[in-house]
Amino acid sequence: METLKTKKMKEVHPMEDVLRMNRIPHIWCPGCGIGLAVTAFAAALEKAKIDLNKVAIVSGIGCTGRVAGYIKLDSFHTTHGRAIAFATGIKVANPDLKVVVFSGDGDLISIGGNHFIHAARRNIDMLVVCVNNFIYAMTGGQVAPTTPLAAYATTCPFGSVEPPINIPYLADSSGAVYVARWTTLHIRRLTNSFIEALDKKGFSVVEVISPCPQYYSRINRLGDGLDMMKFYHDNTEIRHGEDTKNLDIGFQGKIIMGKFIDRERPSYTERFD
Amino acid sequence: MSPIINAFAQGIKKSGVKPAEVCVPSDIPFEPNVVKQLGVDYFHTIRGRAIVFGTGLKLANPALKVVPVVGDLMTLGGNHFVHASRRNMELLVICVNSFIYKKIGGKSVPSTSPVFSLYSTFEEPFNIPHLGNSCGAIYTARWTALHTDELVNSIAEALNKRGLSVIEILAPGPDYYTGINNIDSNLVKFYHKNSEIKNNEDPRNVGIMPDENIVVGKFTDKERPTFIDVYNAQLSKVIGDKFTPYGPVPTSRTGAGLGTGKNESGGKDG
Amino acid sequence: MKANPRDVLTGVHYIDGDVAAGYGVLAAGCKFVAGYPITPSTEAAETFARVAPKGNAMFIQMEDELASISAVIGASFAGVKSMTITSGPGYTLMMEAIGFGAMLETPFVLLNIQRGGPSTGVPTKTGQADMMQSRWGSHGDYEIIAISPDSPQELFDYTIKAFNLAEMYRCPVMIMSDECVGHMTEKVVIPPAEEIELEPRRLYNGPPGEYLPFKPDGDFIPKMVKAGAGYNLYISGHVHDERGYPVTNEEFKSVYLRRLVDKIRRNKDKIIELKEENTDDAEVIVVSYGISSRVAVRGIEKAREKGIKIGNLRLVTVWPFPDEKIIDLAKTTKAFVVPEINYGQIAFEVERCCHGRANVVLVPHSGAGVHNPDDIYDAIVFAAKEKKKIEGIVEYKTKLEKLVFEGGFKLKE
Repeated sequence: METLKTKKMKEVHPMEDVLRMNRIPHIWCPGCGIGLAVTAFAAALEKAKIDLNKVAIVSGIGCTGRVAGYIKLDSFHTTHGRAIAFATGIKVANPDLKVVVFSGDGDLISIGGNHFIHAARRNIDMLVVCVNNFIYAMTGGQVAPTTPLAAYATTCPFGSVEPPINIPYLADSSGAVYVARWTTLHIRRLTNSFIEALDKKGFSVVEVISPCPQYYSRINRLGDGLDMMKFYHDNTEIRHGEDTKNLDIGFQGKIIMGKFIDRERPSYTERFD
Repeated sequence: MSPIINAFAQGIKKSGVKPAEVCVPSDIPFEPNVVKQLGVDYFHTIRGRAIVFGTGLKLANPALKVVPVVGDLMTLGGNHFVHASRRNMELLVICVNSFIYKKIGGKSVPSTSPVFSLYSTFEEPFNIPHLGNSCGAIYTARWTALHTDELVNSIAEALNKRGLSVIEILAPGPDYYTGINNIDSNLVKFYHKNSEIKNNEDPRNVGIMPDENIVVGKFTDKERPTFIDVYNAQLSKVIGDKFTPYGPVPTSRTGAGLGTGKNESGGKDG
Repeated sequence: MKANPRDVLTGVHYIDGDVAAGYGVLAAGCKFVAGYPITPSTEAAETFARVAPKGNAMFIQMEDELASISAVIGASFAGVKSMTITSGPGYTLMMEAIGFGAMLETPFVLLNIQRGGPSTGVPTKTGQADMMQSRWGSHGDYEIIAISPDSPQELFDYTIKAFNLAEMYRCPVMIMSDECVGHMTEKVVIPPAEEIELEPRRLYNGPPGEYLPFKPDGDFIPKMVKAGAGYNLYISGHVHDERGYPVTNEEFKSVYLRRLVDKIRRNKDKIIELKEENTDDAEVIVVSYGISSRVAVRGIEKAREKGIKIGNLRLVTVWPFPDEKIIDLAKTTKAFVVPEINYGQIAFEVERCCHGRANVVLVPHSGAGVHNPDDIYDAIVFAAKEKKKIEGIVEYKTKLEKLVFEGGFKLKE
């Protein structure tokens, strides 16, 4: 026992190069999937062997909006919904940078929906990671544009009455060049997707389905984070190249994952040149 | 604009909808006499918010027929279009695509086609029917301003659809757009000549691309419950008999109210 | 017109301010609320979403604040009472449409549960730094009404009053509450429906041909019609004539804009509500609003115990500003003490009205908390002792600021 106490051994977190360790512990609830998405992203950054000084990460507001603050890159925590617009500024001003937008469904698709479709149309070279937990979690569980029909949330106390948006289809129809979807259970595949997308020139979207045990699962009585992981295990199916219009997610319905779109289109900065 | 206004007037007539029940929120300024001719209620909204202004009108009084006419739809209001389509809000969105911001001196808009604009050669235009369809719009069509008969039919048809319909009308602004791009000022004739009618074409394939014919036609026409339908169905399921469905009450001179009793409609006269 | 018993949750409740506001919205006969989640105002929207089917009303969560407020203005023209609920950044996003609503003389209500700013600021804690924004936020000249409640009970009562004022004066009415009041749980008594007086929409009832949507009645305020009733409305955000048609000449603009501001300014006496206490012979008067007025009470009591002649003026209506009242009081009193959770907004208004006749002491606060009552007391003592007239505003240093900036206070996270 004596030997263990000697201070020769310094504890090093395996991802210390990529994470801001002085900000850990993070704010996310036990069972939340955002941490897993961040881990996958950090692993992808290390594996992709890109110069970390040349990567900027931008987040909006919300639970996922806090991601930028935990990653040791040039991090920007911007206003609600404007992450993509902010990132567009970075990319166009300095095309050498790799720009990653890491934010939630409400931030990117609801209030930031317009920036999302326009950045996709312009094909701005950036990776957008959209963590979809089906709800506004930071404000306490309000209905989101991704909330499945008939699922409960605090601002739809009688069940959601709005059909949810199909994020890959929206990205596809607006012109994204790389579209994939994974859950936080499929970490290895998610990591590979991040690596691929980081390498891609153009507007890439990776949707990450993530459990929200505190709000979405609690309000809808779906159990804790582990139950959701089991659910993802039993109810997901990988279909690469699937037509994006078939990717709707019903309440506790089957989730189709995979890489749906991988095509070439000149990016904004290339056209500009 | 005038062929479109004519088509709109005829479309309303053909659809059997009373012009008095039609509300037109628009971020394009209409001439007062045009509004008088049409006999509709017209609201000149702030830029990009015609669709959401219309959402408010429609939800406050579901008996109204709301027709947002938008010009630069895809710039400021793109998000509202996405979400109104998703909700299947009962609106007929008429998107007049003049490929340029006419009112502010010829800046390019997001639906400007690269081949036609000097200033936006590095941006691709939106494929509006495809975007609408992918978000859940139930009726999508595109015509040039000279496809008058088809346009009238489309407007009449869409006015009687229950859900979000979108009709894109190509009507280039002769002053700025053609001037800047040195194109024959009869561009609308050019469009008419170089367009190809392909009804029921997959909206995916109707993007306006350089050196290709412009595909026009009625692309999709489907049925889907509207926002209010889903709202009523879901709430009756959860609340049960106690729930009074939210829905249209016929309009009258003093205005269409929501409740059944006189005092419930938000106010009395005088 | 009385409230509909179906919409009034009569009884004694123990609820927080946001919930009370939600109940107030329903009781006021509001039929359309569009909102977007934003801390700390969300509970009000959630409450209304829960009770809306009871009143056959509609709550919709829009895609953003721009959409919410535009839908609210649309709904108001369709003929129902409508409102939106927001806070800090959402309020800023709504600014363009607030000017639009004022220009169109749209009756609607906006509930702003203020939080610590600027930008994202401190979402979960309080602030009072949107007061000037509520008055001057949108471009151009316009007038609005702003009310600042200080308890959950008042949030209920004044939400109803806000709807009444909006209908009476055809203008946006802001309820400028703050996080402290919004999240404060207290007893709220909701009276029976027959005790709640509502102002109905002033509707034009004549034939369509003669209707002029912007022709004022005797009291500067035009009557409305509902959209879709055959009046062939032409409503525009341009400067317009009585028919609503856009005009650009100077004469028309002056006529129209004069009325837009005059309808509030000339009716000031009817709109403004103040709560006064011992102001007649006071040597120092505390001017406050919202949560600060409740914190100030302790400071005032303490000063009174020490024998200082102290008055209390609470601005229930903050906008339009009660100029005449302050001008009057400045003649008799020595100084005003203005505690507010910002670095000086309403204090400058008070100073403008004092015009050098009385000293104005601002007790500032950065937000994310409320004043220490002792600071207000100290400021009162300072103001009472000060003999000479001080030009401009005296910014009083609070205990916390002295600690942080002078006394080696260590900030801890």
